[in-house]
Order: sequence, then C-alpha cells, then structure tokens
Amino acid sequence: MDFESYDVLVVGGGLAGIRAAIAAVEANPRVRVGMVSKVYPMRSHTVSAEGGAAAALGPGDSFETHAFDTIKGSDYLADQEVVEAFVREAPVEIIQMEHWGCPWSRNPDGTIAVRPFGGMTTWRTCFAADKTGFHMLHAVFQTSLKYPQITRHDEAFVTKLLVEDSRCVGVVALDIRSGRFDAITAKSVILATGGLGRVYAFTTNGNICTGDGMALAYRAGAGLKDMEMVQFHPTGLPFTGILITEAVRGEGGYLLNKDGERFLKRYVPNKMELGPRDIISRAMTTEFEEGRGFEGPHGKYMHLDVRHLGEKVIDRKLPFMRELGREFLGIDIVTDPIPVRPVQHYMMGGVDANISGETPILGLYAAGECANVGLNGGNRLGSNSLPECLVFGAAAGRAAAHYASSARPVTANPVDAMLWDEARRVEAEYLEKKGGDERIGPIREEMQREMDAGAGVFRTKEGLSRLVRNLGGLRERFEKVRIDDSSRTFNTEIIAALELDFMLEVASVIAFTALAREESRGAHARRDFPERDDEHFLKHTLAFHTNTLAPRLEYSDVHITTFKPQARSY
Amino acid sequence: MTTEATAEATTEAPAAPREYSWRMPANWWTRNRHYFLYTVREFTALPLALWLLWLLVEIRRAGDGPARYAPHSSTAFVVFSVVVLAFALYHSYTFLTLAGTILHFKVLDRPVPARLIVLSQFAAWAAASVVVAFVLIWFAHE
Amino acid sequence: MPDKTITVRATRFDPERDREPRMQSYEVPFTDESMVVLDALNHVKSHIDGSLSYRWSCRMGICGSCGMMVNGTPKLTCNAFLRDYWPRPVVVQPLNNFPIIRDLVIDMDDFMHKLKSIKPWIIRKQELPLGAGEHRQSNEQIDDFRQFSECINCMLCYAACPVYGLNNEFLGPAATALARRYNLDSRDQGLKERLPVLGEAEGIWECSFVGECSVVCPKGVDPAKAIQQTKLDTTMRFVLPYGNRE
Repeated sequence: MDFESYDVLVVGGGLAGIRAAIAAVEANPRVRVGMVSKVYPMRSHTVSAEGGAAAALGPGDSFETHAFDTIKGSDYLADQEVVEAFVREAPVEIIQMEHWGCPWSRNPDGTIAVRPFGGMTTWRTCFAADKTGFHMLHAVFQTSLKYPQITRHDEAFVTKLLVEDSRCVGVVALDIRSGRFDAITAKSVILATGGLGRVYAFTTNGNICTGDGMALAYRAGAGLKDMEMVQFHPTGLPFTGILITEAVRGEGGYLLNKDGERFLKRYVPNKMELGPRDIISRAMTTEFEEGRGFEGPHGKYMHLDVRHLGEKVIDRKLPFMRELGREFLGIDIVTDPIPVRPVQHYMMGGVDANISGETPILGLYAAGECANVGLNGGNRLGSNSLPECLVFGAAAGRAAAHYASSARPVTANPVDAMLWDEARRVEAEYLEKKGGDERIGPIREEMQREMDAGAGVFRTKEGLSRLVRNLGGLRERFEKVRIDDSSRTFNTEIIAALELDFMLEVASVIAFTALAREESRGAHARRDFPERDDEHFLKHTLAFHTNTLAPRLEYSDVHITTFKPQARSY
Repeated sequence: MTTEATAEATTEAPAAPREYSWRMPANWWTRNRHYFLYTVREFTALPLALWLLWLLVEIRRAGDGPARYAPHSSTAFVVFSVVVLAFALYHSYTFLTLAGTILHFKVLDRPVPARLIVLSQFAAWAAASVVVAFVLIWFAHE
Repeated sequence: MPDKTITVRATRFDPERDREPRMQSYEVPFTDESMVVLDALNHVKSHIDGSLSYRWSCRMGICGSCGMMVNGTPKLTCNAFLRDYWPRPVVVQPLNNFPIIRDLVIDMDDFMHKLKSIKPWIIRKQELPLGAGEHRQSNEQIDDFRQFSECINCMLCYAACPVYGLNNEFLGPAATALARRYNLDSRDQGLKERLPVLGEAEGIWECSFVGECSVVCPKGVDPAKAIQQTKLDTTMRFVLPYGNRE
C-alpha cells in the first residue's frame, strides 16, 4: 500500500507551523514538506493576535534588557540560554517578515516602529496597527504558496502520532471532508498546533485551540512541561472573551475601578498599566473581591479608558479595537470606556522541547504555543509569543530538515498496521458505539466551568483537588458519549469528540501539576502558598502519561546563566 | 469509515464525495435591491442603443439630401426620446460617480479625496455640455 | 422568565443521504441580547442536534471561517446579532455561489487556487539581503494598499457576486483585491507577473460592477474598487507605452 511520505511533516498551519515549513525548505531545497492543518491555514489562531511582536531592533534597545525583562517576567522559570538565543534571533525574524510583506507600522523615516508593552522596560514591540497576528499570518501563509516543495493537507485532523521503535515516523490523520483515515509518514514531524484555551469557558482562544498537539505528544510518551502555568490576560470583553489588546494600555489607556481610580498604583506602582499580565490579572481579581469592580449582566468588570488618547491616535494605532467595540458592544471607544475582565489567554506550558525544538522522542519536534522550549517560564510577556513562533518555528524547521536528510526512510509494514488500528479505534469508540447516552456539549461545558473555577487566576488545594475529582467524573461520562452524526462527510461532531478527548487529557495535566506546585510563581498563584519558593520549586514540572488520569511527575532544573533569581516587583 | 492511504502528492485535499453544485436561480436579480438596480442599469443600455441606431439611420438619410430628411415627430417617439434621455443621464451619473472609486492620484503626496474627483468629473461634464450646446446653437444660426 | 426563544432554520445536506438540501428548524433559547447567530448554531450543536455541520473559530470577526447566508445576506455569523432578527425566524444557509460539501459547509478550494494564481507574495528583481535590514516604507505608502490587505478570505464577496455565481471561472473580488494589495506595495516589483492573470478574459474583465462585494465585505476592503482600479491600470499600460510603474 502506498501512502503520502515526506521528509518533514508539520502539524498545524499557524505562524510557527508555516515558518517551520519555509525554514525546512530554505535549509534544504530538496526537502519535501507536508503541512497538515485541521483548518485552512489562514484560519489559525495566530490571526487573533493583536498587539505586536517584540524584538530589540532599535538603537536604544539591547539584547540584555530584552532578555532580562523576559526572565523577570517569567518569574525566573525561563531557561536563560534559550531566552538569550531568542532575543538575538527575534530582530532577524522581524526583518524576514518585513521582506515577506508584513505591513509593519513605520516611523517617519520609514523604519519599523515600536510601541511600549507590559513588562518591557523599553519600547520594543513592533506592530501592524492592532492586527499584528492577522497581518503576520496572512503574509507568511501567502508567502508559503510560492514554495512548490510544500504540500498542504487542509482540514485534516491528526488523531495519533505514529511512533515506531521510539521514533516518530508520521501521523494518522482524518480527512474531514471525506471521512477517510490517512497515514501521512515523514522522517521528522513538527508539532505546531497552538494552545488549549478551550479547556476554559472564558477564553480569548478560538474554537480550534484544543491542545491537540500537546495531547498527541503526551500520549506518545513525551513530557509536558510547566502545564500549571496558564496565562490570564487582564482585558477581555465580558461574555464573549474577545481580546482587547495590551497595546491599548501600551498606547496610554487607563484601567479604572468603579471609583474611577487607577487601582494599579497599589499593585505595580512603578509600571501601572504596563505591568505584566499575571500581576495585573491578580490585581483586578483582588479588586473585584474587595467590591471595587463594576457589576454587569455578565459578571464583574473594570473600565479600560482610552478617551484621553483622542480619535486620531485611536484610528491610527488601535483601529481594530474601535471596530470591535462598535461591532460587538455597540460602543465607540473614542467616547466610551471599554468593559474588561481577566480572561484565559495563553499556555506557557507545552511539549517539552529544547532550543531546536527537539523533543525526547526521536524525529519529533515542537514549536510555538504547543511547545515549551523554556522561553516563557511562569509568565509570558505580551508580544513575546509572535516572535517565539517565528524564532522557534524556524529553528525546528531547520533541525527537522537536517535530521531528515540523514534519517532512514520510513518502512511501510508497521505503519500500515498502525493506521488500521487507529482507524478501528476511532470507529469503535465513537461511530459504532451503541447505547451511549452522554452528549459532547454538556461534558465540554462542564469541564470548562470546572477549569474556570478550579484552575483560574487564584488556586487552592481544595479547589484543585475538587477539579481533579470532577475531571475524573467527566472522563467517565465521556466514555459513554453518544454521537448523533453518522455521516462520513464533514462530520464535525466526531472532530468535537476527538478534541474533547484531548482537552480532558490536558486539563487533567493542568490540574495535577498545579496541585503539585506548592508555591506561587508567575501565573500560578496559590492562595495557600502565596510566596515563591526557590528552594523547592525553582524547577520545571514534567508530566508523563500513565494509564490513569494522574500523570507521573518529574522535576528538572531551570537553566540559570546570567540573572540570579531575585524578588519580582514592578 | 473507510481506511485508505493517499496515493500521491497533491497540493490540495483528496477528492471529496459528491457535492451539491451551485445553480444560479433564474430570478436571482429580483432577490436583492442592489441586484435589481444593477440589472436596470445594464438594461437601460438597450433602448439607448436602439435610439442611437435610429439616429444613425436619420443621419444617413440626411446625407442623401434635405428632401429625404424626415425626422420622426410622433408623440410616441418624443416620449421614447425623453425616456431614453433619462436613461442616458442615469448612465452618465453612474459612470461619473464611478470615477471616485477608480481614479486615485496624489497631489503634493496627499491622495485627492474621491468626492473632489467626482465633483470635477461632473464639472467637466457640465462644461462639455455647454460647449456642445453653444456649437449647435451657433451652427443653427448660420 | 427565560422562555424567550428564536427559531433557527438551517440548511441540511448530507451527500450520503440527501439528493438536495433541505431546511430544518430549531427552537433556541434567546437568553442574552449579546447572542449572535453563531451562538444559536452552537447551542443547536451542543444541546439539540450534534450532526449540524458548520465552520467557525475565533468568533471575533477576524479568522473568516463562519461566513453564511443569514436571511439571504452573506454575513459573518459571529457578528450577526439575533436581536436584529427576533421575533422572526433567522434563516441560515451556506454561502451562495459555492458547492455545498455538507450542511452549512461550502467548498472553497476554487478560491485557494485563485489566491495562489495571483502570486500573493512580494516579488523582487533582486532580493534585499536580511542583513540590509528592512525596506524603508512610509505609513503613507502603507495607506496606499492597507485597505486591500485587510481581506480575511471569508468569501462573503464571492457569495454576493452574481458574476461569480453565473461563471465561476471569474477571478473574483477577494483575489483581485489581494493582487492589488501587492501591486500597490512599494516593496513589490511583481506587477508584470500578475497582470497576465488579471488581464485575461476571466480575470477582471468579467466584472460588470455590481458593487455588492464591497457592500457585504465585513472589513471594508472594497474589492469592487480594486477591480475597477485594476481595469484602468491595465488599460493605461496598454494605451501608454511608458504608462504606470513597474
């Protein structure tokens, strides 16, 4: 039997995935690259990134300060040699994006402009108005169309990694349109599947952010690193969770409580609105609890006020925010304050990978939000994730192409058997199962509510223990799930089931790792352990798959080179 | 579900099962106000063309000498001509308004506003009409 | 109290069972004034009928997945509020002018081919090396093409275009707007490579300026303008031997 075979296979068509694909081809033009994505690449969630991409470009900036800001922002959980390499590569990648047509906003002299951002000590965030992710994704996707070596498999959902003799040799993918299972083999596989925000109810993440790559790698035996580190962005719109970019504060917007007070003076007096996301989200939650938030039909909120910036600045720098206000809230941010509250936004944790994106599984690489290369530690700074996708996407692409050039070809026999097994498993578990009485929707909604309640901005032992128990109950209910849709053609219900399966897996990892980290560091804030504990927890958490819901946990040292951990205050 | 491996490299997704093809309904132009106005706009060109054809015939006949020149003067033809004039004006209007969309140029590095372009088109139209009218009247006096 | 409901009528089509599309009605609780048509579809899928198929992701009007016909007009369903339709039913159908794969899911591969055909990437006679830094470009030069770079590929313009509906060989609004986006970019020198695709019979000349593409565009791209401007450009290049820039 024939099957599609590549040198490098990229799973995921967002910024990291496409960057990896192009890097692989440019590293070696003879490399054949496949790209599998469950949506058309321009639908990937990179498209929703707004504020910008950080890089020490300007003469007033330095690699050292970008590195220090990132490490301090991470609450010293970042691996410092990774950060140091990252800040050196980021400007190169920003220029590369410029050459590929990204319409970066400019200075009067025609060079790329920068804006201030949270947790950064200087102006270093490049931006394309306030649709930076949209413009970067479309520029890099459209550029990728010129490489004949890249073959796309759009709207195909990867259900399993093919691992043979502890080497990753491809994937099993369900072609959504035809309902057919394909083995897509490759000498190396790069996971670039993005985040998992949809395990939470209130999230900025799109419907596709379901932690697929993390779950795939976890089940294949790779470790998931620092999964307790979940970022809550301070400014999401109530009800929809639509992101209001940090650039609103970067450009000078105020956060006000119901007394009209810039309350951040009590929490980050030196940074105010430009404090890091973890601390501001905690400050807002604390203000809510102490009764100083506004009360609305969709819960408590604060005001984000840009009225003093004036229409001209808003239209030049924040046009999309004005559009979102007008379209989704019926307000004009030129004349009205924006209601906002903290919202799940980003996953610092991910597939354990090194600086080249290599995971412990031979031939398997990871990049972007689904990976943890040690850049973000306990808290990612705003505008570091877009350059992360570029820098580590490119690194993984090059490494994977290099490995593929010397790796032995994939053999057909075991792949064939693995494909049949996987196809049979999915059919048996979902399509042919009789007598199930649970629906996907209610289980997913309950998981999301439980995650909001138990693994939110503040955590406690009681809350996390309850979460662990309840996720166990949901997993049991999921075993009895029933699928209404028996068609093979574009069966989105079976995709939803496979995604929920993945989400329950990664949600459990978040709950167990959060329970085990008995300190407060970065985005992980324990009410019962409010202090950082460098003696016991200046370590990465590594979670490995077991036969139960509970992962096996290991801890590994954080790489500290230049900056010794110190108290983190702003 | 069936299991099958892809045989060859294609840049797009594998062949899908039967799709339901799009068929344009015959009455599509009645389903939306803009479609309707568009269809009217395109349709008005037809009587306009007929009228111009008629004019050509008249001119040709006039070439054979004054005796052969006998312009249509029935009420029906006058009404028809007035209607056609309205159509012609409507066409001119839509065409000239389009200029604001199509033309884009800069003066002193600043884009000229579309309104100004449209306005200048109408001004040029008016000026041209005045010149033509003047010439015709002048000829008539000769 | 929470008894307010809205009727959603959605197109159903499963090629394995149906000869042609049919409509199915659902009663959806209308519990919040902020609810959009997509929320109603999600309620149906989660709680009433899991087999209803449609695409969606970001639900903030930027990913371009959730375009459908809502009461006959192409819309992003994440941005079509139920309050604008209630108490009358809201009718949701797949985008016009495309083949239907399933229920509300259209086949847009045709656009993916057209997108590639206009070479939507920066073309240079000589690549600037990375070490040379960025191309200098002013914000005013970006303003020249900004509008056309805002296209999210949502396909609403194709659904609104009767010319495309009658002849799907037509290059169409979004692809032309994107070609124009690159042609107007001061960094690009690929006009000559794109003109043959734009200028051919089924390129821009099929367009008879209905203008509906620009009316339905959720991002203000104005593809009709892009097409008419391209027509003029192509003509000028033909008429004037040294007309237009490279």
